Parts: sequence; structure tokens; C-alpha cells
Amino acid sequence: MIIVENLTKTYGSKKAVDDLSFTVTPGRITGFLGPNGSGKSTTMRCMLGLDKPDAGTTTFDGRKYADIESPLSHVGSLLDAGDAHKGRTARNHLRWIAMTNGISASRVDAVLQMVGMEDAARTKVGKFSLGMRQRLGLAVALLGDPKVVILDEPANGLDPEGIRWTREVMRHLADEGRSVLVSSHQLVELSLVADDLVVIGQGKLISSGPIAQFMTQHAKTWVRVVSPQFDALAELVIAQGGTVERTADGGDFHAISAITIGDIAAANNLVLHELSPQTGSLEQAFLDATDASVEYRGQPTTNVWEAPKP
Amino acid sequence: MIGVLKSELFKLRTTRATKIVVIFSVALPAIIFTLTSALAFQNGEVGDSLISMVGNFAPLTGLLLGVVGVLCSTQEYSQGTIRITLVATPNRLKVFVAKLLTTVVVSVTSSLLMLLFCLVPSQLILSSRDVDFVTISTDIRILFSVVILSAFLSVLGLSLGLVFKSSPGAISALLIWPTILEGMVFGLLSLAFKDSNIFRYAPIQGNGFRLIAAYFNADENTWLVSLTYFSAFVAVFTVLGAVLFSRRDA
Repeated sequence: MIIVENLTKTYGSKKAVDDLSFTVTPGRITGFLGPNGSGKSTTMRCMLGLDKPDAGTTTFDGRKYADIESPLSHVGSLLDAGDAHKGRTARNHLRWIAMTNGISASRVDAVLQMVGMEDAARTKVGKFSLGMRQRLGLAVALLGDPKVVILDEPANGLDPEGIRWTREVMRHLADEGRSVLVSSHQLVELSLVADDLVVIGQGKLISSGPIAQFMTQHAKTWVRVVSPQFDALAELVIAQGGTVERTADGGDFHAISAITIGDIAAANNLVLHELSPQTGSLEQAFLDATDASVEYRGQPTTNVWEAPKP
Repeated sequence: MIGVLKSELFKLRTTRATKIVVIFSVALPAIIFTLTSALAFQNGEVGDSLISMVGNFAPLTGLLLGVVGVLCSTQEYSQGTIRITLVATPNRLKVFVAKLLTTVVVSVTSSLLMLLFCLVPSQLILSSRDVDFVTISTDIRILFSVVILSAFLSVLGLSLGLVFKSSPGAISALLIWPTILEGMVFGLLSLAFKDSNIFRYAPIQGNGFRLIAAYFNADENTWLVSLTYFSAFVAVFTVLGAVLFSRRDA
């Protein structure tokens, strides 16, 4: 189990991580979400002792990272797929890491096979695509057969097969009882695999808990209705405090439940062709939850790509 | 600790740039010295010590091994492997000591090889021509100094690498200070203080490179003083490098 308590990290006058606390539970995949510059990578670096936090602690099964003997056998991490000497072969890259923790050369070959890189074992890292480097980074994380796995954007640069494979690896690791913390910008991907979510913005915790709880708190819900007597129904729903948004074949009702709409329709003999509760996507919920803490925002797309006139 | 040491040595062995510089530090003096021996001395007795002449190559070998020391630290930052190194071994002092010992082992081995590859072929060539060199009482000390100078310069390179974190900055400082700047700075100080002997305070040229001298004049630092002064200079940068390495974010 990973317990992060009151983690704070300041660079100059900017608080990159601000009193952040969360827990990563064994046997579950915890997605770590936040807009660009929200402090996800800084948090992960602080957790592993690469950056020194100003305050707060991180413990892995009750122990600080620096106190763990042979840390690779306890915590496996992938922070940046580019963290490898371009002139070294994949196998040699893993071998020097293995030596530091007394991990055997046979385990190096085993993880290379596990990530599907046995044929590229003697190829220099500089010749690898981003996807291959991600696989090598995952091999590093799995090298010590760790109980805790921390992955920063593991699917970045992978093809669809690679993304599916990463998802399966994470699920497999969690099913074996390991704690998995994974940050990703690919929200759809994360919604397919994460059990819990930790969402941060500007270094602060926005939400922490099961993904369903996050969706309940932050995802928009509405009721889709198709009816030949839509206008009559809309009038009655508005009278009950609901709001209506017309669509081509019917409309969406907000601030009122499907049960109440059904009861209104039944009481007034109104015909319904469709009455279905709708929930917004994780992406929309994430955007809504972090809207106030987005640091770097793009321009609206209208005319942005037009070249300046001579 | 043994695992970390093995890992650091493996890292050096599997990096082309460091291998090339190590080979140069051994081969360059050996080739030049062997060719010089073959071309310069035909027969008779030469009034100089062969070992003393080989000692003159120590600054070249030492500075090249200093570059190896720089690469040992800066490549970790430029390639991003420092994060993996510190995740695998969170005890930064242990990593620093492993890097220090690795560079010392590599530089000592390389300087011994340099001496071997300089002396053996030259001795064979010159013996076949009946050229006799004198032996002097300080020969052993010179051999020892060549090894010491290489070790200290490689440690200086490693420390500068940890201070600068970038190869161009650290290598420039390592090469430009002793070859150009130190002479200029102490030349100015000599004018300012009207002290023609102020050069004895120059850490590298006035003391480090002087370790390989066959004789010391009365107005110069003795071998032991030079060794102490030069080691103190290297120690300052070593401590600075170690402190920055242990405190800085990776």
C-alpha cells in the first residue's frame, strides 16, 4: 500500500504540490489524473525520493522509499521512457539496473521476453521508437517483480495493441494483489482500467476514491426523452423544476430523475418512446472537475490555424 | 555496495564515449612515446631517465582520464539515467562513493597501462640499439606520481561533472583552467603582488603537474607539499560535488 501524506513541494515561489494526501490500495489500479503542470510527475518524483519534498511523507507498506533494502524488488517505476542511454543495448540497460539490486541476468532476459522485446535485446536504445522505449521502461519497472508499481504515462507512444497490452499488464499486476498507480492523459484508456482515481489540480487534491464515486460527484447526468407529445411533457417537467434541452428527435431533461419523468408521463397519459438516464464521459467529468485549476489553456479553435495575412 | 560498484563499472564499459577516451588516454602517449623512442635515439647513452620522460605524458593522460570522470557523472544527467540510478539506489552517498571508486579504479588501471605500453616497447626498441638511459633515484616516485595525478584528475573531473551537470561546461572547466586560465590568473597575481614565485600556489600546474618532476628547486614546493596542496584543491571540489549531488533534485 502507498500512503502519501501532506506532500508539499515548492519551486521558487510556485507550489507544485500542495499538501497532497492519498492512498493507493493493493489489488487495485489507481489512476492519477490532472491537467498539464498540475504536479503529477513532481508528486511521483517526490514519492521516490528523486525530488526532496518541503513537507510530507510517502510510505510503501509502512516504509519510506529510502529505507527499503533492494527497492526495485518492492517498488517498480516508469517515470520517463527516455531515461536510457541511447548508446546502450536494451539488455545492457536492464543489466546495469539489475546489478544495483542483485537481480540476476536471467530475470533481465525474462522481463525482456515479458515485454516482447527479446528480439531487440541487443539493439541500441537510440534506434528504438517511442513505443519500444515505453516497453523497455515497463521492463525496468517489472525488473524486480515489485509489489508496488508506479507508472507515469505508460501508454504514451504505444500503438493500439501496445495500449491494450499495457492495460492487461496493469490488470494482471493488480489481480496479483499489487498496488498500481498510473498517471495518464488518455482518459478513455484510464476509464477502462482504473478502479480508483486521484485527481489533482495546481498541486492540490480535487478528488480521491473509487472511479464510480468520482463520476457521481463530477459527471453530468441527464435523461434522454423521445415522445410524440414532447412539448406537453416538457411543460410539466419544467413546472417540477427540471430544465429542457431540445434535440433533433426529442430532448434532454436536466435536474430531474428518470423516475419522476416517467411518473409525470404516466399520470398525464403521455406516450414515451424513449426514457433513458445518461451519464457524461470521464473526460467531461475530468474537465469539469479540473476546470478551475487548468494552468495552460489553448485558444478556441476558430481561426487559430489561419496564417497571418501578408 | 558491491552491486552498485559493479553497476557503475558496467555503465562505463558499455558507453562508447568513455571507452574511446580511455583508449586514447593509454594509446596516445604510448604511440607518441614509442615513435619518439624509435626516431630520436639511435645509440649511445642518453643523459635522461626514460621514466622521467614518460612522466611528461602524465598531464595528457590525467586530463583525458579527467574527461572520463566528467562523462561518468554528466552522461547520467544528459541521458536521464540519473533518475533510474537514484531510484535503484536511493542512498546518494553510496552512489557517489561508487562513482568515485569506479573512476579511481579506471584511472589507476589506465595510467598503469599507459606506463606499461610506453616503457616496454621503448625499452625493447632502445635495448636492441644499445641505447642506455640513466636511472635516477626519483624514478619510482615519478611512476607513483603518474598514477596519483591521473587518479586525482579523474576525481576532479567527476566532481566538476556533478557541479556542472553538463559535459561541455565541466570538460571546458577541466581543460581550460589548467592549460590556459591558471597561467593567466597566476601571471596577473605575480604582477600584482610582485612575486615571481607565486606560481607555487597554482593548484594544477604549480603543484599537480609538478608531482611528476624529477627534481625540485629550493624555492618550489616540495613533492609532499605539492601533493598535499593539490589533494586539498581536488578535495574542495569533491566535497562540493558530493554535497550538490546529495541535495539537488534529480
